[in-house]
Amino acid sequence: MQESNAPVTPEASKAPARSWSTRGRIMGVPVSMIAIWAALFVAASAIPALPVPGMSGMITVNALLTGISGMILGPAAAIANAAGSIIAMILFPFGFSLGPLGWLTATAGGLVSGLLFTNRWKLAGLVELVVLAAWFANPRSWQPFMWTVPLPYSAITVLVIFIKPLREWARNKILTLDKVWMWVGVFLMVSASHSAEYLTTNSMVNWMFHLSWQYWVPTLPYWIGVDTIIIVLATAVGVGVMTGLRRAHLPQVADSMEK
Amino acid sequence: MMGTTYISQDTYLHRLDARTKLILMLAVFTLVLVFSHPLYIIALLLLVMIAWGSAKIPFGAIKTILQYFLVLGIIIFVIQVFFYPGTTNLFKISGPVPLLGFDGYITLEGVLFGIAMVLRLVVIMVVAPLLVMTTPLPEMMVAFVKFKIPYRFAFVMTTAMSMLPSIQNRASLIQQAQLCRGVNDFEGGNLLAKLRAMSAMLVPLILGTFRDSQVLDVAMSSRAFGAPAKRTFLLESHFETADYWMLAFAAILMVGGIVLRVMNLGVV
Repeated sequence: MQESNAPVTPEASKAPARSWSTRGRIMGVPVSMIAIWAALFVAASAIPALPVPGMSGMITVNALLTGISGMILGPAAAIANAAGSIIAMILFPFGFSLGPLGWLTATAGGLVSGLLFTNRWKLAGLVELVVLAAWFANPRSWQPFMWTVPLPYSAITVLVIFIKPLREWARNKILTLDKVWMWVGVFLMVSASHSAEYLTTNSMVNWMFHLSWQYWVPTLPYWIGVDTIIIVLATAVGVGVMTGLRRAHLPQVADSMEK
Repeated sequence: MMGTTYISQDTYLHRLDARTKLILMLAVFTLVLVFSHPLYIIALLLLVMIAWGSAKIPFGAIKTILQYFLVLGIIIFVIQVFFYPGTTNLFKISGPVPLLGFDGYITLEGVLFGIAMVLRLVVIMVVAPLLVMTTPLPEMMVAFVKFKIPYRFAFVMTTAMSMLPSIQNRASLIQQAQLCRGVNDFEGGNLLAKLRAMSAMLVPLILGTFRDSQVLDVAMSSRAFGAPAKRTFLLESHFETADYWMLAFAAILMVGGIVLRVMNLGVV
């Protein structure tokens, strides 16, 4: 018990030979935690959060979990979200309008915020740029004002990833459970996650259904409103969960990070 | 809330190996993205419907699935009909609206492309549930492992599925507890109150289940999870003759589809 719950130091996670304790882990996070998160994700996919006319019938609570997953599991959030969303889109397909590839969106969201939170900012930046490139690789993305579609959250995400003081500040406020500014740090991390998820979804929709600027540009304010509600709510849940996990001495990826 | 579940029947499709069905699903999914002409997508849809009928799954399930995507389907159709850059004018409905990029004409290509995109959505939405309704989830997990998906990932998926009922029970208990404390906006109330109620449920739910993860961790460690051993499975899956026939069919479909596309057929 003690061994498997012991914090994994960066050195241990980079060890070439897989020790007994690392066999039960994925990216330094216990498989049990990842499985539990995946189960939470599936359960959350059955709870409608917002009935949203538009891309899918509704946005479910799993959108909130994706937003905070990176802060709890680090990059392993991508694995947990992928597993959860594969099962969820099988059991509850109404939240997924992208068919068998629907799991990619939550995976991208968890990956970007997880990498960012564990300070692997170069990788986080690379993933975010790949997601952006997938949008702009589509010829329709060069139609009038289509550049505004990825702008709202990508701008925040790119700033958090590439501006070191801002990135460090956000991470520190979360890691130290700062009573005044923690929510801003969580908000930035959730925005990064949601940005990646939102852009991946949009890119895939654009490639699959070829929607033109006449759809994307006029509906942009509407989507900004919907996404803002999701991000604010995920921030509220994220602050509660991060504080609760620390106070209850429950495992999380922050245990293995240098403070 | 509606969810798709396995429907036990003794049909040809049910008896196929889960891997075969996964490959068939991916073949249909790929082809529906390759083609953009409604006739070709209708052919694929017919194929899926034949499979649906032969699996003796009630067609009412399709209606339930599609009602969630009705608005999306309408949006896709309208956008393509009005704004697809076609050349064959069908009729004029207004003068040009340069601000919207609309020249006033509805074109044949726009209508065909609109129908094709809606049908694409329909095929995408009904093909995955068909797999789920004809394959028990444990068999699907074995299929994932047989596809060389890392065992730890497959374990995460099976554990998540097995823990789902207990998490849903816990969520229900938390909801009742919060109702006792006066948080009563889970169903009704305005949006803000509803969102606040959701937060009141999610935080204890996540913390509670994370506490459970420690118990699971102990159970896994005590059973030597991750120890280097040859793994065996309670369920074993093998390809039968029918599977080989269906795999050959999937291969012909894929190759034929790609050849047609290379010949510039199947596009508007």
